[in-house]
Amino acid sequence: MTPLMSGLIVLMVLLVLLATGMPIAFALGLVAVGALVLTDGWGVIDIVGETFFAGLAEFGLVSIPMFILMGAAVASSPAGKDLYEALDRWLNRVPGGLILSNIGACSVFAALSGSSPATCAAIGKMGIPEMQQRGYPDTIAAGSIAAGGTLGILIPPSVTMIVYGIATETSIGRLFIAGLLPGLMLTVLFMIWAIIDCRRQGYSFEQAAQRFTLRQKLEALPRVLPFLAIIVAILYVLYGGVATPSEAAGAGALFCILLVVVIYQLIPKRRIDFASLGKVFGDSIRESIMIMLIIAASELFSFALSSMFVTQSVAEWIAALEVNRWVLMGIVNLFLLVAGFFLPPVAVILMTAPILIPIILQAGFDPYWFAVVLTINMEIGLITPPVGLNLYVINGIAPDISLKSILVGSLPFVLCMVLGILLLCVFPGIATWLPEYMMGAAI
Amino acid sequence: MQIFIRIVSGLSRFAGFLATLLLGLAVLVVCQMIVVRYFLNASTVWQTEFVIYALVAATFIGSPYVLIRKGHVGVDLIPNALSGRGRIVLDVLAAVLSLVFLCILTWSGWHYFYEAWQGRWTTDTVWALPLWIPLLPLPLGMGLLCLQYVAEILRIVSGEGEGPALSAHGFKDIEGMAD
Repeated sequence: MTPLMSGLIVLMVLLVLLATGMPIAFALGLVAVGALVLTDGWGVIDIVGETFFAGLAEFGLVSIPMFILMGAAVASSPAGKDLYEALDRWLNRVPGGLILSNIGACSVFAALSGSSPATCAAIGKMGIPEMQQRGYPDTIAAGSIAAGGTLGILIPPSVTMIVYGIATETSIGRLFIAGLLPGLMLTVLFMIWAIIDCRRQGYSFEQAAQRFTLRQKLEALPRVLPFLAIIVAILYVLYGGVATPSEAAGAGALFCILLVVVIYQLIPKRRIDFASLGKVFGDSIRESIMIMLIIAASELFSFALSSMFVTQSVAEWIAALEVNRWVLMGIVNLFLLVAGFFLPPVAVILMTAPILIPIILQAGFDPYWFAVVLTINMEIGLITPPVGLNLYVINGIAPDISLKSILVGSLPFVLCMVLGILLLCVFPGIATWLPEYMMGAAI
Repeated sequence: MQIFIRIVSGLSRFAGFLATLLLGLAVLVVCQMIVVRYFLNASTVWQTEFVIYALVAATFIGSPYVLIRKGHVGVDLIPNALSGRGRIVLDVLAAVLSLVFLCILTWSGWHYFYEAWQGRWTTDTVWALPLWIPLLPLPLGMGLLCLQYVAEILRIVSGEGEGPALSAHGFKDIEGMAD
């Protein structure tokens, strides 16, 4: 049997296993073990545990639970509310300021919490009713929050980028910086579309009646700035090569927990609220273990694929086809998009990276640029059915908006993301300029 | 049977608590390491390895707790579309398939641990930690996960609760979704 053929069979078996609803990590592991046993015999079972363990025992991975913990701490606090209020006070006089502050608050909160659904829940719970009250159409209110929440996996610090960095052996600091401008670009695209759509639907922007004094504007800042300072500090530390991502994440986690404890007085009457703190840790453990096990299982999976020569053969096969590199990129994008419809971002990256990265490099694409394109594809999967998580979250927090309105409202934002990918293809500098400017050319 | 389910679930929750402690400890050690390295300009001996292995251990022994909280993400389109008997059959099938892999992993992990124990292997760093210490959580955690899966299967078959597959990425658990 040729390697390509066995690769195809592995893929089919994996899809069947996933269809049963079994955890992705164990499906990957089972397929890998099955493939290894069929090629190398039962003796290979001995190294399963070793490979699985080795997949996890890496210092780079330490940053994942740490960043998740940091995000959980932020998500547990009313930081989202404060962020939203602060932006609203500053942008109040701008026509359409409310929608700008909603999307803006989403992008900042998403960056901090690193979680799309948590962002939708935190910002949407205040933002959506406020927009409805001021007469914005339901579709725009729901769509802008759903789309804004996806930005978290692109704007640093992002766990998705860390996983990409580990799977492809690229610099995590550089990946973070590569995601910054494209993240801002998407934020602006979302804002532009939201304003256009409001006008299209005949919504007239009036200047808000309420005026905030400079004092009120300044008052809103102290609770927001420390969190922004943490993002800036993490980026600074990583780009300067001062510390490793894991160290930055560990310090970030401790600072965020302390900030939440101090600013939001998780310590009422001088007693630490252990229940809330326990929930933060429990939620982080749940999320990180899920990701870590997928990472370990995909280590086993890619080991199986390469010992069957699937990885190498696919790359050779694609090279022999001599298709235009942009046609190739188009196909890869389509493939990622479909995978993202069904699987969470981390799983898509881990499962496809061993096959895709050699192909991408061979075709002369920049791996950091590709990380950004891939992540935007994953963002689309978060707001499209059938498993578009953000849609369900919005449905949960705004039950009066029908799922249909949420879908209709989100679709244009999907097109904004597609436009974003096209812009990145025409102007790759959006992703590559900042890292090159700050860190020099990639090696 | 009820007693079995209760004992195993209790153990899993306790293991989850231990995993949480390990995570907290890892955060503190990372910060201590930063202070030693960048502010005291000293070199660190055990911190890096400690943090790595603490989190690996947390991953393994915390995973049964994650199963209880339906945190192991799967693609739940087909299970969710089914109801009644079909759903039960598919949930049990998914659990049994997971169990097959986890048993192999537990056995293989035990084998690896045993070799390290017998051969007195150590990590190849200055700290030279005996390798069996970080390896022990692998068979322990995965073994407990196997037991927890058996408990889940018993629960599905006896008609209590839904299967171990996850409901839409567990979004109901997200902060603020409950109210």
